[in-house]
Amino acid sequence: MARIVILGAGVSGHTAALHLKRLLGSRHTITVVSPNSKWNWIPSNIWVGVGEMEKKHVIFPLAPVYQRKGIDFRQAKGVAIRPYGDADDPRPAVDIEYTLPEKAGQTERLRYDYLVNATGPKLRFEATPGLGPDGHTVSVCTADHAVEANVKLRAVIEKLKAGIPQTLVVGTGHGTCTCEGAAFEYVFNVDHELRQAGVRDLARVVYLTNEAALGDFGVDGMIFDQQGFQTTSELWTGSLFRERGVEAILGTHVFQIDEGVIHFESLDGEKHMLDFDFAMLIPPFGGQPLTAYDRDGADITADMFAPSGFMKVDADYSPKPYEEWKAEDWPSTYLAPGFDNIFAVGIAFAPPHQISKPRKTPNGTVIAPSPPRTGMPSGVMGKTAALSIAGRLKNGKDTPAHTASMAQMGAACVASAGTGLTKGSAAAMTMLPVVPDYVRYPTGRDARETQGELGLHGHWVKLMLHYLFIYKAKALPGWQLIPE
Amino acid sequence: MSETPAVVADLSRSPLPTRVTLRRRQNVVLQFVRFVRFDLRIMRMVAKGHR
Ligand SMILES: Cc1cc2nc3c(=O)[nH]c(=O)nc-3n(C[C@H](O)[C@H](O)[C@H](O)COP(=O)(O)OP(=O)(O)OC[C@H]3O[C@@H](n4cnc5c(N)ncnc54)[C@H](O)[C@@H]3O)c2cc1C
Repeated sequence: MARIVILGAGVSGHTAALHLKRLLGSRHTITVVSPNSKWNWIPSNIWVGVGEMEKKHVIFPLAPVYQRKGIDFRQAKGVAIRPYGDADDPRPAVDIEYTLPEKAGQTERLRYDYLVNATGPKLRFEATPGLGPDGHTVSVCTADHAVEANVKLRAVIEKLKAGIPQTLVVGTGHGTCTCEGAAFEYVFNVDHELRQAGVRDLARVVYLTNEAALGDFGVDGMIFDQQGFQTTSELWTGSLFRERGVEAILGTHVFQIDEGVIHFESLDGEKHMLDFDFAMLIPPFGGQPLTAYDRDGADITADMFAPSGFMKVDADYSPKPYEEWKAEDWPSTYLAPGFDNIFAVGIAFAPPHQISKPRKTPNGTVIAPSPPRTGMPSGVMGKTAALSIAGRLKNGKDTPAHTASMAQMGAACVASAGTGLTKGSAAAMTMLPVVPDYVRYPTGRDARETQGELGLHGHWVKLMLHYLFIYKAKALPGWQLIPE
Repeated sequence: MSETPAVVADLSRSPLPTRVTLRRRQNVVLQFVRFVRFDLRIMRMVAKGHR
C-alpha cells in the first residue's frame, strides 16, 4: 500500500486528491495536508468584495468531504521536504506543522511514496511597504480579505452619497504581480456598484497596472478574430474602459503606499504619486516557504526551488531573451527534476519565464507581469499528476507520466463586470493555448478558440462556473463529469 | 527625483460601442445564444487542450 501526500487543498491539490481517490479506491492512502479548514472558490471572492455575495457562499468545510471520500485530511502546513528520507529511514518524508486549533504547533513527519506540491501562492504584501490589509490597501485574494474590502467600499460609497468626491484605485501593488484579470474584474464590479448606488459621477475610478498595455493580462495580450478582422485584446479592453469611464495607468511598479497616497514608478523611469480614498491592489505572489533537506540534513532548498520560492519542475530554466522563448520551455509532466515521485502543480510550480514581454525602466526597475496560472490549467495539472501517479501505482514505476503543458492547453477567463441576472455583464475570454506558440499559430494562438466577448451571457457563464465548481469540489454525485 | 502626478493612458481612440451594441449585450435572447456558444467553445477547448 502506497501513501500519496498532497500539500494544499486549493484548485489543483483538491482536484488531484479527488481524482486519485477515484482512480485508486482504498488500495492506497491519500493524505491531504492544508492549513485552512475551508475550501474557497477564489474567483467569486470578487463578488464578496463588492457585497454581492456572502462569504459563506464561496467557502465550505473540507473535513466532511474528505471523510465521506475516505481521504486522510491533516489541517496542517507542509514545512520541509526530505526527498531522500532522514538518518533513521530512507523513505522520503514531509514535515508538517498542525494548524488545527487542538493540535496547533505540533509537528509530524509523514512518509510518502508520492508527493504533490499544490501549495499555491504566498501573498507577498511585504514586497511593497504599506501594501495590503495590514497597510493601507485592501485585497480580494482570500474570502476574509474580500469581506474587509467590501466594508471599506461601503464606507466610501457612504461618503460619495454625502457628496464627498472619492478616488478609488484598483490594480497591481508591485511591478512583478500576476492576476491582473482579478484586478480588472474588481474594477468593473466596483464601477457597477457605484452606478447602482447612483454615485458614479462623484467617483474617480482608476485602474493602476503593471501591464504595459491594456488587455495584456500577463499573457502578452491576445489577438481575436472578430467579424473577419484581427483585433487585439488591447483595443477590446480599451473600449470597455472608455465606455465605463475608468481611467487606466499602465506599466507601473508601485514601490510604496502611505495613508492615502500610492507612490509608483512608470516605464519611462518617472516617479509619480496618486492620491486615493480606497485601493484594492493585488500583491505579488511567491512560493510558500517550504524547505528541503537531504538525508544528512543538508539544506537542498536552492536545488529544488527557484529563488521565487516556486518548485522547479520539468521546464527549461536556462535564461534566454524574450525573442527566444519557446512553447517547449514550459513543463508538461510537473515532475521535479531528479525525482520520479514529486510533482508541483498549479501556482506552486516555477514557470520558466514570463509570458508577457518583461520590461525595465531606465532606473533598472523590473516591470514584468508574472505568468498567470488560472483555475482551468491549475485543475488540469492536478488531474494530470493524479493520472501519472495512479498509472505508476497500477502499471509500474516506469509508466510514462501524463502530460499537460500550458503551451497546449487553453483557459477561459470570465471577468465579471457587474452582477445581476438581467443587468450583469462580463468580459468572457477564451485562449488556446495559454502560452503562445508562434510555430504552430501565426498569431501565437488558435484563432478559432481565442475570442473575447462582452455581455450578459458572460455573467451567466461566471455564475454557472461558480455553482459547477463548488458542486465538483464537494465531490457530489457525478462530480468527475465536470471538466477541470 | 521629485514625484509628479500620475499620467493617465489616452483612451480617446478606443472604439466606443454603439447604442445597438450595448442593447445587444443585454438582450436576453441573443445573450442566451451566446451563452450556449461560449459553453460549447469551452468544451471544445477542453477536448483539444487535453489531447
Ligand atoms: C481574486 C482572484 C480571482 C481569481 N479569479 C479567477 C477566475 O475568474 N478564473 C480563474 O480561472 N482563476 C482565477 N483566479 C486564479 C485561481 O484562483 C488560481 O488559479 C487557483 O486558485 C490556483 O490553484 P492552486 O491550487 O495552485 O492554488 P490555491 O487554490 O491558492 O490553493 C493552494 C492551497 O495550498 C494551501 N497551502 C498553503 N500553504 C501550504 C503549506 N505550507 N502546506 C500545505 N498547504 C498549503 C492553501 O491553504 C490552499 O489550500 C483568481 C485568483 C484570485 C486571487
